[in-house]
Amino acid sequence: MAYDDLRSFLDALEREGQLLRVTDEVMPEPDLAAAANAAPRLGDTAPALYFDNVTGFTDARVAMNVHGSWANHALALGLPKDTPVKRQVEEFIRRWNDFPVAPEWREDPPWAENTMDGDEVDIFRVLPLFRLNDGDGGFYIDKAAVVSKDPEDPEHSGKQNVGIYRIEVKGGRKLALQPVPMHDIAQHLHKAERAGEDLPVAITLGNDPVISIVASTPMKYDENEYELAGALRGAPAPVAPAPLTGLPVPWGAEVVIEGVIEGRKREIEGPFGEFTGHYSGGRSMPVIRVDKISYRTRPVFEHLYLGMPWTEVDYLIAANTCVPLYRQLTEEFPEVRAVNAMYTHGLVVIVSTAKRYGGFAKAVGLRVLTTPHGLGYATTVIVVDEDVDPFDLPQVMWALSTKMNPSGDLIRIPNLSVLELAPQAQHPGITDKLVIDATTPVAPDHRGNYGNQVRDLPEAAAWLDRLRRLAAHR
Amino acid sequence: MSEKTPGNTSEKTVCPRCAHPAIARLFTSPVPGVWDVLQCEQCLYCWRTSEPARRTSRAAYPDGFKLTAEDIRDAPEVPAVPPLRDAR
Repeated sequence: MAYDDLRSFLDALEREGQLLRVTDEVMPEPDLAAAANAAPRLGDTAPALYFDNVTGFTDARVAMNVHGSWANHALALGLPKDTPVKRQVEEFIRRWNDFPVAPEWREDPPWAENTMDGDEVDIFRVLPLFRLNDGDGGFYIDKAAVVSKDPEDPEHSGKQNVGIYRIEVKGGRKLALQPVPMHDIAQHLHKAERAGEDLPVAITLGNDPVISIVASTPMKYDENEYELAGALRGAPAPVAPAPLTGLPVPWGAEVVIEGVIEGRKREIEGPFGEFTGHYSGGRSMPVIRVDKISYRTRPVFEHLYLGMPWTEVDYLIAANTCVPLYRQLTEEFPEVRAVNAMYTHGLVVIVSTAKRYGGFAKAVGLRVLTTPHGLGYATTVIVVDEDVDPFDLPQVMWALSTKMNPSGDLIRIPNLSVLELAPQAQHPGITDKLVIDATTPVAPDHRGNYGNQVRDLPEAAAWLDRLRRLAAHR
Repeated sequence: MSEKTPGNTSEKTVCPRCAHPAIARLFTSPVPGVWDVLQCEQCLYCWRTSEPARRTSRAAYPDGFKLTAEDIRDAPEVPAVPPLRDAR
């Protein structure tokens, strides 16, 4: 089923036993972030957290870890909560085949209930803001969908963008935003700044769960995120025009913040504990002037803890990083069977593929590096045989243990692009990259001594079912 | 250095991160007198007075996160501001 807003999804999580209400009074810091830091340690069925008794606030409602387990991710896609990871990725691929599904313009969005304009804008009066990690330079908003248009082609709906970026709160109506150069909004800002203009943006918080997934999916520049949301939901994504900018925003959002990224302006920002598990340093970054805030009565502040993996962000950007890479690779190499890019947003990518001929797997690995996402992320690519499940790390380690010979199977390419947050770069934004061929050599590559591989016995699958049944009735 | 609380506003407060003396008050707790949100006017560090000392006290603030005026001045620009389209 499709959820039209965050609240209906929180209700569904509660019905499924996947929402934990913390009713005791908690401190805004460090309790809220520490709880969300801890929650994923409960495992792949960890619940979302909901707080409404926060010291010093009279009316705070905070939701965290909403996508922070495979059970919650499955429910966000309308799947049973015990759906295995590989099955969730396969279903994501299947639904993407329905892309594009046009959004539905819907009237009377709930966020139109309350507004603040101009000098009366004060984000602290709307959101119970709080710090996540010790070294963060301030209070961040890091799970909002930021909507912008290509200023040189504003009527092209595909070039419009909905993305999640880190946003630091610097004042009642001043924010900072990080546009990673590989991301679409950086292209929008670049075009606006070349023209000496500001870039209008709408920042929407507390969205339905599929909006958060598509906003963090590395889609192509001219692909529309709302049209993917429709495909994933199985129903058009409801949207409404933001009142000040006219940008299309999710109908069901809790809060819509509108303003501009002020062109050609930079100011100290950060650090922020990032998805890499490391802080970025303090840098000089773009500034947003907020001109209007629209919000539901008693809005829920959805926030996301991130730190040393795995945390909520790792669940949020797991399946949706695997799928575009799989789709782009199979366009040219239909032999590719599966792609696992769920580790740190695809800084490591594992691909299983059949081979046309000797050396083929290395070509597949090199192609990963030149996909749009690979340009900014993939630093190590591991290629395994078609009968190795890239989501089964013991199988991947077996392939590395027995198929990979450093003599000839390691391809190191110097000085390729990577996002500036990647800690391993020699200089921010530039790193060597590595392709590891852990496939069985095929002719005319005659290296190694592979003979006959041991396979599962033909009867093993039936016995697996039988053993499961016996175990269930112990 | 001393920590600032709503009931102790006369004491001198400096930024925990860069030691700058100019501090602004961004917000006050909706429940009166519980905490304030303060901000350094130099490095823009932002903190709530009720946070642990490792985030609010210059003496307890970790060295690894401290900033100097030079760090702020020399911070890399991300992304770089492009040349104007008409500039030749």
